[in-house]
Amino acid sequence: MHTKSNILLVDDDELYLFLMERTIHQISNTLKVGSFTDGERAIEYITQCTNEKTPLPEVIFLDINMPFLDGWGFLAEFKKLKPQISNKVNIYMVSSSMREFDKKRAANLEELTGYVIKPVDKGQLIEIFKTIYQENW
Amino acid sequence: MWTRVLKMLVSLYLPLFALTLFLYFFQKDRQINQLAVYQNKATTFKKNTFMEDSYTFLRDTHYWSTLNYPNDFDPMNKHKELMLPFINLIKKITDYDQFRFIDLNGQEIFRAVRYSQDSLIIGQLQNKKERDYVQSGLNLKKDQLYISQINLNRENGVIEEPKKAVVRTVAPIFTSNNQKIGLVVINFKVKRILDQLKSKIVNTNIFLLDKENNVISASSLPEDLPYESKNFTQDYKDILGTTFFPHETDTTYIANDHIWTQLNIALNHTKIPYGASQNDTIEVISPTNLVLAQETPPSVIKSYLQPVYESLLTFNFISVLVLLGFSYVYQKNRVQKEQFYLELKEKNKMLLKSKDQLQEKNVMVTEMNNSLEIRNKQLSDFNYLISHNLRAPVTSMSLIVEMINKEKNPETLDLLLPKLDQVAKSITNLTQDINEYVSILDNKEIKLTEINVPELIHKVKHEFTETLLDNGEFEVKQNFEAWEQLTYSKFYLQSILHNFISNGIKYRRKNVSSYIMFRSAMENNKKVLYVEDNGIGLNLDQHGENVFKLYKRFHRNVSGKGMGLFLVKSQLEALNATIEIESEVGIGTIFKLIF
Repeated sequence: MHTKSNILLVDDDELYLFLMERTIHQISNTLKVGSFTDGERAIEYITQCTNEKTPLPEVIFLDINMPFLDGWGFLAEFKKLKPQISNKVNIYMVSSSMREFDKKRAANLEELTGYVIKPVDKGQLIEIFKTIYQENW
Repeated sequence: MWTRVLKMLVSLYLPLFALTLFLYFFQKDRQINQLAVYQNKATTFKKNTFMEDSYTFLRDTHYWSTLNYPNDFDPMNKHKELMLPFINLIKKITDYDQFRFIDLNGQEIFRAVRYSQDSLIIGQLQNKKERDYVQSGLNLKKDQLYISQINLNRENGVIEEPKKAVVRTVAPIFTSNNQKIGLVVINFKVKRILDQLKSKIVNTNIFLLDKENNVISASSLPEDLPYESKNFTQDYKDILGTTFFPHETDTTYIANDHIWTQLNIALNHTKIPYGASQNDTIEVISPTNLVLAQETPPSVIKSYLQPVYESLLTFNFISVLVLLGFSYVYQKNRVQKEQFYLELKEKNKMLLKSKDQLQEKNVMVTEMNNSLEIRNKQLSDFNYLISHNLRAPVTSMSLIVEMINKEKNPETLDLLLPKLDQVAKSITNLTQDINEYVSILDNKEIKLTEINVPELIHKVKHEFTETLLDNGEFEVKQNFEAWEQLTYSKFYLQSILHNFISNGIKYRRKNVSSYIMFRSAMENNKKVLYVEDNGIGLNLDQHGENVFKLYKRFHRNVSGKGMGLFLVKSQLEALNATIEIESEVGIGTIFKLIF
């Protein structure tokens, strides 16, 4: 993960990462996809980026349940780093199931752009990318 | 109940009874005193009547003394003609029993004896020189009169039959030039005045005695002068009774419920008026003075007191009835009240008891609620676990399968197929882990035993090679002062202790002598087990909510599935125990297990 990614996937499910990468590539060959299997690694990358003043990915798909640092923990750390981040980062919470409790908690976080239920199909991704990149795929 | 009624009745009635007794005796005293006063008055009245009768006799006799008799007075022969009107007069005065003239030698010169109501026997003169009344009469001066004792009439020394009580009056007679020539002697019949004396309205006894206590007349005797006829006892005490005591002066006294009045009748040397002038008096000479006695016997007093007695008795009877009624009502009321209080007390007791029971049940309900809440939480967790952890691989699988179906490129297929294998493996692992968790959740009959915790710790710690070494690589410390025994599932507790020691070893800090410390304590009546280590610690700000969750790992360089504390918590909650954590990075962690 040294080259700049457009899209960052944070999830401990490697199969999910594989499938998401494939789907995104089917949509666009130009979008670069990066991934981490836990929140801790992801926040380390974000920290590194801010330190190096490199732009951050435009979209982050964030899983809730992960070892070492979960989705909420990542968001808490991200919030701390936010003043140093120059570009707009859209974070989507992704979970295989959303409890009411989780939905409410997510709604209260302004760092979140939205949340998505797994499995994330191609159409959903196209819609998300359309709003972000203002392009027609 | 009745005992109490009677007791109350007695306590109420006794003072009333005492008052009644006091009233009775007071009344009795008053009545007796009143009777005594009346008796005194009545006796005085009788005495006066008796005196007046006697005076009448004396005045009558005095009349004969005031006549002027001839010098050679011979009523039987020479002056027979002169005597005729007098004899007629004597005949008419029926009180006269005998009328005589006696000369200075004691020889009768005239004698008239009543034969019947209106006939007299004249004559049969006797010599009475030896008789007391003649001798006393001969000593009389002018304007002196003699009255004898009351006697039974005797003729020639023998008591005349039928017995006749008489009194003799004697007066001197004089000629026109004041020459004393003899005596006039009149026998008066006294039965009439004695009967009058003894007449009575109420049942009193009346006695006439002389100074020698000879009974002259008694209302209780049919005959007068019993001592003379010797028909009756001569002792006055037999006639008047033992309550009579002779007194010198007039008196009224009460002895043993007998009221006695004694009045002296003094005739000797008394002066009685006659005629118009106050200075015309005659002096009475008499051999004896009399005593008039009147007695009210106890029977009369009793009959007088009868109404008082009866009214008091009625009063007492009604009082007893009223008091009995009052006592009964009062005591019944009291008994009912007591009964009521007793019942109230009993009900109170029962209420308290049911209150206790309610509280007990409340506690039970609260406990049950708590365990239900825990159970609910566990189920919700389980639900989340299944839906999240199981759904992820399943959806992934379906996506892969979909891709495989669409994929025409065999090279890509080679890439996709191993992914299916990966999914299968992760599902198998997950199923195993869930199975372990479900076995805890579902274990309805957990076998509880009394466990000596320090002993169990000792046993568990030997499962770890690190603790066997004496080089102090890892030490398991114990402090079980508060308690040692715990009722719990031995299998769970063993698993819990294993996990703690295992974690303690895994997350120990290098370069310090690492340890884990088990310490028992009592807090709020609950057994508490503190598990303390000086390991690497945990940032609870970051991970606090995830500490006891499944598949949560916090340390990248230490191997682990992220199941240990999740199982510990499940095994504790399965038996209503709870767990809390305090931790600081680089210092250590403290778990608090509350049983």
